[in-house]
Amino acid sequence: MFLNQFLFFAAILFSIGVYGVLTRKNGVLVLMSIELILNAVNINLVAFGALHQDISGQVFVLFVIAVAAAEVGVGLAIVLLIFRNRRSINVAEADLLKG
Amino acid sequence: MAQYLPVLALLLLGSGFAAINLVVSKLVSPSRPTEEKLAPYECGIVPGREPPHRFPVRFYLIAMLFIIFDIEIVFLYPWAVANAGLGRFGLVAILIFSALVFESFIYLISKGALDWGTLQVNRRLSPMVNEDRTVESTVRKVGLVGRFEEVESLKDALIDGNAATDSVPEQDGAAA
Amino acid sequence: MMSLFAQVPVSTPEIQWFYLAPILILALGGVLLITLTSVAPVMRGRHISALFTVATGVLALAFLPFIAARLDGLVDPVAGQGGRPAVDLVSSALVVDHFTLWVSGLISVAVILVAVMLDGYLEREGFESPEWYALLLISASGGVILASAEDLIVTFLGLEILSIAVYVLAALHLRRSESQEAGFKYFILGALSSAIFLYGIAMVYGATGSTTLTGVAGSMTGRNAAGLSPAVDSSLVMVGIALMLIGFGFKVSAFPLHIWTPDVYQGSPTPIVGFMTSAVKVAAFGGMMRVFLVGFGGTFASDWRVLVLFMAGFTILFGSFLAIVQTNIKRTMAFSSIAHAGFMLVGLYAAASPVAIGDTGKRAVLFYLLAYTFMSIGTFAVISIVGKKGDGNHSIEAYRGLAKREPLLAMAFTVLLFGQVGAPFTAGFFAKFRVIAAAAQVERTEAYILAGVAMLGAAVGAYLYLRVVVAMFLDVQESPSTEMADSADETLALVEVRALEVPPATLAVVLLAAVVTLVLGIFPDIGSGALAEAALALVR
Repeated sequence: MFLNQFLFFAAILFSIGVYGVLTRKNGVLVLMSIELILNAVNINLVAFGALHQDISGQVFVLFVIAVAAAEVGVGLAIVLLIFRNRRSINVAEADLLKG
Repeated sequence: MAQYLPVLALLLLGSGFAAINLVVSKLVSPSRPTEEKLAPYECGIVPGREPPHRFPVRFYLIAMLFIIFDIEIVFLYPWAVANAGLGRFGLVAILIFSALVFESFIYLISKGALDWGTLQVNRRLSPMVNEDRTVESTVRKVGLVGRFEEVESLKDALIDGNAATDSVPEQDGAAA
Repeated sequence: MMSLFAQVPVSTPEIQWFYLAPILILALGGVLLITLTSVAPVMRGRHISALFTVATGVLALAFLPFIAARLDGLVDPVAGQGGRPAVDLVSSALVVDHFTLWVSGLISVAVILVAVMLDGYLEREGFESPEWYALLLISASGGVILASAEDLIVTFLGLEILSIAVYVLAALHLRRSESQEAGFKYFILGALSSAIFLYGIAMVYGATGSTTLTGVAGSMTGRNAAGLSPAVDSSLVMVGIALMLIGFGFKVSAFPLHIWTPDVYQGSPTPIVGFMTSAVKVAAFGGMMRVFLVGFGGTFASDWRVLVLFMAGFTILFGSFLAIVQTNIKRTMAFSSIAHAGFMLVGLYAAASPVAIGDTGKRAVLFYLLAYTFMSIGTFAVISIVGKKGDGNHSIEAYRGLAKREPLLAMAFTVLLFGQVGAPFTAGFFAKFRVIAAAAQVERTEAYILAGVAMLGAAVGAYLYLRVVVAMFLDVQESPSTEMADSADETLALVEVRALEVPPATLAVVLLAAVVTLVLGIFPDIGSGALAEAALALVR
C-alpha cells in the first residue's frame, strides 16, 4: 500500500463531509457529515503514524474519537432542544436571527 | 492490492447470489396479480399517507448517554494493555479518569435522566418549573417565543389601541 | 506474547502539580460544583453557585503570582526556550511560562466577572441552574489548556473543551428559540472549523513526524530531538498551516470566517456573549500565538504572515463598516468584536517579524487582550441589564434616554464605548496605538498599508459607538410602547413595559470595567513588567 492511497481516500472523505455540511438541510445529517470529516482526519493520522513509525498518531486518533463522541452528544442535545420548540430539525428554517 | 482479493471475491459472490435469486424467482414463480392482492390491506381504510414514525423522545437521551459512556471506555484499552509496565502510576491515572466519568452519572441520576417512571426528580429540578411563574407570565413567555402569527396579531392589537399596553404594567404590579 | 505481559517498566512522567494549579482548580471547580449541587440540594440555593465560581476564579488567580515567583527562581530554565523561564509538564504536553500565566490571569478575571454578571441575569430570567457556572469553569480550564499546550494533541483537546462548553452555554436559555438557534449555528460551524483545524494538524504531523510544537519547529529547521533531519514536505506543511489558520480564525472571528458572529452573539444569553468576547477570544489568541509563533515561527513565518496580513485588513474593514447598518446592539457589538479581532491580528502580523519588532507585536496583542477583556465584559454587562426580562430588548432605540434614567450606568457605558472607540485616556487608545505602531515598525509597504487600513477602520468604527452614546444622552421623544417592533423579540420587550432592574453586582462589574478602562488609559504601563515577560516567553 502506498501512503497516497490513504491520503486520497481521506481527502475524498473530507470533501464529502464538507459537502454534506454545506448542503444538507437536516440537522442530524449535518452532524453525520462532521463525523465523516473527523474520520477522514483519523485515517490521515493513522497513515502518517505508520509512515513515521510513531505511536502518537494512533494516540491522537483515540482522543479524536472521544472528542467526536462528546461533540455529537452536545450536537444531538441541541438538535433535540430545537425539535422540541419548533417541531423541525431543518437547518434552513433556523432563520430567527438576522440583521 | 492482493490482500483485497478475498474481499472482492466475497463481494461478487454475495451480490451474485442475491441477483441470481431475484432473477430465478421472477422466472420460475407464477405471477397472477389481482387488485386485492396488491392492496396493503384486504379490508379496512386504505391509508392515504405514510404513517408517522413516533417513538418517545427519551430514547434519544438514552442513546446520547450511551454514545458518551461507550466511547469513553476507549481509553481503558491502552491502559489495560500497558498496565504491567505502568504500575501504580497508571492505576492512579485510570482511577482519576474513571472517577471523572462516573461523576457524570451522579449528575445524570440527580437530574432524573435515568428515570423511566413519572420523572419526579426531573420535574422538581427543571428550570421551566418555578414558583415565580404565574399563569400570566407562563402564557406570555411561552406563547410568544417563536410564534409569529400571534405576535403579528398582538402587534395589530397594540397599534389599534394603546389601552392594551397601558394595562400591562398594572397587571405586572398586581402580580408582584 | 509473553513479552507483552512481562514486567517492563515504562517511564512515567513526573507531574509537577503546583504548576498545573490554575487548570486543575478551574476544571475541578466545575466538576465539584456539579457534583455538590447534584448530591446536596442545599447547594442549589440562590447565589451559592455564583459565589462558588467567583471563589474558584479568585483561587486560580491567587496561584499565579506564586507560580510566577517560582518560575523566576528556576536556576536552570529548560533549554530550547531561549533561556526564558519555562516548565515543561506531563512529558511536554503543557508548558508553563509567563505567557501562560498572563493568559490564565485574563481568563480567570473573565470567569469571575462573567459569573458575577450571570448571577443577576439568571435571577431575572428565573433560571436556577449550577450548570451555567460549571460549564463556565470547564470552558475556562479548556482555554488555559489551549494557551499552554505544547503538543498539538493537547492544543486540540483544549480547543474542544473550550468550545463544546460554550456551544451548550449559547443554547442554554431554554425559553428563547433564538438562543437555541444561536447554539446550533455556533455548534455546526464550530465543529466544522475544528474538524478542519484537526485536518491541518494531521497534515503538519505527516510532514514533520512530530506533534509537539518544539518538535515541529525543530524538524523544519533541520534538527529535531533525535538529531535527524527529515525531509519536510513543505507543501504539506503549508496546507496544514492554512487549515489550522482557518480553525483559529473561526474562533477569533477573523474575516472570511466571521459570518457566524453576529447571529450567535444576537441569540446567545448576553453574559455568555461577554464570556465569548473575553475568555474565548483570549484563549484562542493565546493558542494561536503559541502554535504559530513557537511552532511555525521559523521557516514558514514569512508564508503565514501574509495570510494574517490580509485577514487582519479585511477583518477590520468588514467589522467596522458592517457595524454601521445594524440596528440591534448585540449585532453591532458583534461586528465591533470582529473589528477588534482584526486589530489583534495586526499585532500578530507584527509579532511574526524578527525579534525586536516581534516582541513589540506580541506585547501589543497581549495588552489589547487585557484592555478588550475588561471593555467587552463591561459592555455586555450593560447590554445584559438593558436587555430586560426575556433578554430581548436590544434595539439601539432602547438606549434612548438611558442617561436620564440610569445616570451612573450611562456614564460607565460611555467610558466603555469611548474605550472601544480608542479615545485618548482610555485603555482602547493605547491598545490600538500599540498595535498600529508595531505594524508600522515592520517597515514594509504592505505593513504601512495595513496600519493605514487599521487607522481607517478605527475612524469608521468610532461612528457606531458614538451612535449609541448619542442615543443614551438624547431625550425620550416617543414612548417606546408605540414603536413598531421588527421581530418577535422586540414585541416581547414591548409587551413587558417595566423599569430597568439594575442588580448591584452587575453594576459593580460595569463600574469596575469602566474604572480599569480609565486607569489603563491614564497609566498604560501598569503591569508592563509582566507583559514584557509574557511576550518574551514566546521565542521564535
